[in-house]
Amino acid sequence: MKSALRAYLLLTPALLVLGALFLGGFAPSFLQSFGYFPAVGMTEPTLSFYREVFGGREFLPSLLFSLRIAFLSSAGAVVFGALLALLLLRTGRGEKIEGALAAIPVIVPHTVAVLLVLNLLARTGLLARLLFASGFISSPDGMPSLVFDRGGLGVIAVYLWKGIPFAAAVVYVVLRNMNTRLWESATVLGASRFQAFRYVVLPLLLPSLSSTFVLLFGFSFGAFEAPFLIGPTFPRALPVAAYSAYIHPDPTFRPYSMVMVVVITFIAMLLVYLYSFFLAGEERAS
Amino acid sequence: MTFRSTIRTKCCMLLLFALFFAAAPRLFASDWGAVLDASRGTTVNFYGWGGDPNVNAWLDTFVAPRLKERYGIALNRVGMGIGEVLNKLLSEKAAGKTDGVIDVVWINGENFFAARRNDLLFGPFTQALPNFREFVDAAAGDVAFDFGFPTEGYESPYGKAQLVFFRDTERLKEAPGGHEELLEAAKKHPGTITYPAPPDFTGSAFVRTVVCDIVGREALASLPADKEALRKAVAPAMEFLVALKPYLWMRGESYPASSSQIKNMFADGEILLGMSYTPFLAPGRVAAGEFPESTESFVFENGTVGNTHFLAIPFNASNASGAMVVINEILTPEAQASKYDPAVWGDLPVLEYARLSSEERALFESVDTGKGAVPLDFMLRRRVPELPANFIPILDEIWRETVLK
Amino acid sequence: MKTHSPFAPLLLFAFLTLLLLPVLVLLIWSVARSWPWPSLLPAAYSAAEWKSLFSASSRLVPVLLQSVLLAGGVTLLSLAASVPAAKALGLLSFPGKSVVEMLVLAPVIVPPLSYAPGMHLLFLRLGIADSFAGVLLAHLVPCLPYGIRILTNVFRALGDRLEMQARVLGASPAQAFLHVTLPLIAPGMASAGGLLFIVSLSQYLLTFFLGGGRIVTLSMVLLPLVKDGERAAAAVWSTLFIAVSLLFCLLMERAAKRCASSRDTFFLS
Repeated sequence: MKSALRAYLLLTPALLVLGALFLGGFAPSFLQSFGYFPAVGMTEPTLSFYREVFGGREFLPSLLFSLRIAFLSSAGAVVFGALLALLLLRTGRGEKIEGALAAIPVIVPHTVAVLLVLNLLARTGLLARLLFASGFISSPDGMPSLVFDRGGLGVIAVYLWKGIPFAAAVVYVVLRNMNTRLWESATVLGASRFQAFRYVVLPLLLPSLSSTFVLLFGFSFGAFEAPFLIGPTFPRALPVAAYSAYIHPDPTFRPYSMVMVVVITFIAMLLVYLYSFFLAGEERAS
Repeated sequence: MTFRSTIRTKCCMLLLFALFFAAAPRLFASDWGAVLDASRGTTVNFYGWGGDPNVNAWLDTFVAPRLKERYGIALNRVGMGIGEVLNKLLSEKAAGKTDGVIDVVWINGENFFAARRNDLLFGPFTQALPNFREFVDAAAGDVAFDFGFPTEGYESPYGKAQLVFFRDTERLKEAPGGHEELLEAAKKHPGTITYPAPPDFTGSAFVRTVVCDIVGREALASLPADKEALRKAVAPAMEFLVALKPYLWMRGESYPASSSQIKNMFADGEILLGMSYTPFLAPGRVAAGEFPESTESFVFENGTVGNTHFLAIPFNASNASGAMVVINEILTPEAQASKYDPAVWGDLPVLEYARLSSEERALFESVDTGKGAVPLDFMLRRRVPELPANFIPILDEIWRETVLK
Repeated sequence: MKTHSPFAPLLLFAFLTLLLLPVLVLLIWSVARSWPWPSLLPAAYSAAEWKSLFSASSRLVPVLLQSVLLAGGVTLLSLAASVPAAKALGLLSFPGKSVVEMLVLAPVIVPPLSYAPGMHLLFLRLGIADSFAGVLLAHLVPCLPYGIRILTNVFRALGDRLEMQARVLGASPAQAFLHVTLPLIAPGMASAGGLLFIVSLSQYLLTFFLGGGRIVTLSMVLLPLVKDGERAAAAVWSTLFIAVSLLFCLLMERAAKRCASSRDTFFLS
């Protein structure tokens, strides 16, 4: 009991901020999604806004779009990030230069990452010009559309660019702390390099890979800037649709935006739960 | 009351009103001194779209120093989209905040309509501005009405805009004079033409221009702001835009999010035809070396939409007097002429030519509108007044539903 | 696990090129005036954008100052709140711990869009909307989780033996904390500080909603430039952003190294 009091005392500043600002910031949005917005005279709670949004033509495509780009970019980031970490480890110099270089995308914000992807992958971007110079295409038309496209490739590219180094950093730490004896014993006992990786290393990496995947997935699902700047006109990612509805000049439209915000928050909280589950697994493994 | 006495009462009231308005300029004039005094040494926060660096530079390097020098006012320019500005004012009104940070807001069209409907503006104030009384024709159609909605002195004209197209004459030999020729050009050069997606301001204006070209403005202006009625009326135009899709950039499946992207795509040679609500954008960019020398601007034969854009003061502005001084200063001939120069901004002036002295007129005549520009009177003759403000969001939605899909 | 095959370094090189080439292109854009299709390098260069960055009208100094002061303040406050919270989560067990852990984790995944509008309403009523203090408080929400997470791991690895020993030897709680615990967690605090600074500096929606245009940070300047396709100007401000972040991270890393090298009692527990 005494330790419980002590614990909560220590936690007070953090809990105050998170309770008042995080939960307290979400509460009005939650209420407004049910049409409760007394400041503009809406006092009757109703499910009509939910029904209208869910039944509208843009909601499902937006939701699926957001889920899709989150899944693809996070999966790609985890796979390629693990690969990058392995490469850094095997060349043996990972600590210094290469490691520092590989960490640069972490400090670059999403807005700048969008600019980078635009410069590279747009119809008249660097990649197109390289392809032109080497004779693969003869005009910008020949270039497939990689940004602003309905598949959200541009957005995925942004998340990959940011996510791969992040995943690599996590995996690198785990790999480095891993007992190399395990690997050596496996290969001495006759396992091929691939088998040793598959049955020894991978299971030990799995908790970190899973938790990183969930973290990246959750973050990119709710993120606003990349799809806002480089996403397609249709379907819009869910956060972008929510923002668009939010700045509608008619205040009685606000609940539509809040319905979408609530959906995003709900899915994000599910992912938080999943993430904490994997984190616990990670701690048990180490 | 007898009929006679009603007339007498009405005459008396009319007389009183006339006396009041005759005296008003003098009343306001004496008030103006007080307004100037109250604003001296203060900061005025000027909120508006910050996406055009030329506009920002003009405000920062011409208007701000001028205000500082003449009135000791520090102009603080903040770039924020009008949607966000209105949203902020709405939230502040709901929370009862009376000392807002926004003093001047750049506004027009459906946003002004929404602002007035939600009582977000301070005013009426235009009659208090000396330059407004002197140089602006308050009864003119594009000053008294903003997208068909009466301004009633709650916003002061800032500049005039008209949708203008520009093309690379080297690759697109003929200027499309209307929608049919536009379709022909798109078929001949597939993938090189596009327009920004509504609700972007320019993209929305393009859609309205096409609508007016095919259906005619008169047919629409008399309709109620009802989605189904409008949908039926603009159906031929939507059909045209759907027919245009396959020949557009990205086969019409994705559209640039803003006119600024159009500008870059044109500069890069990705598209052959661009458009802008700033009439002299293209000559300005040619002069800056961004657009090719072969760029020429044009408008449709049936005209392109044009409107006036305004400045207003929020209901809870902390520095309303400073705001009025700033707005008044922007109405001086010097300010209007300096932004008319395409090398600076290229925004059309709002002052009544007849009210200017010969020296003041010379300021405008000496401006070189630049290479390949559409001559001003030609442009103004092919100018279609904008549709009513409350039509705009509805038309944008119809476009999204019918064309974008 | 070292290998001598040439394949790995080559692949690594390709990887790093892919990751860093865009940054190089960005630097080139910052000095390009005209770069039309299909040239691989700009057709015309110009230092105009850099000149205008350092001119009076770009308001570089106020923006930079606000950004650094804001991020710095957020970092300090976050660390101050994170250290006790991390101690509780890392060393103590108490009822409701898993709920607290989830709450602490949530802002990492739940986007600012979920709580920024509501926070704005709250701040309006408290009278701190559109203020520096308000934005500072708001930034604590996304930053605290990172600080707490990193420091929790540090506390967990550290254990409480050393601090208990100091108490047994007669030190007061404050003395034990200041002279034993603090120096030991300092390296962790420094790494966390670097990350917190970047998280705060990168915030857009929060600064936008809660600052109302009065608080202008590097992110606030950048996003409209990227959205409106002002490539050269965006490139210049992006370079500035990256430089500021790098500088701060390097400073934090030096601080961390200095703290770490002066103590090696870490592994005694």
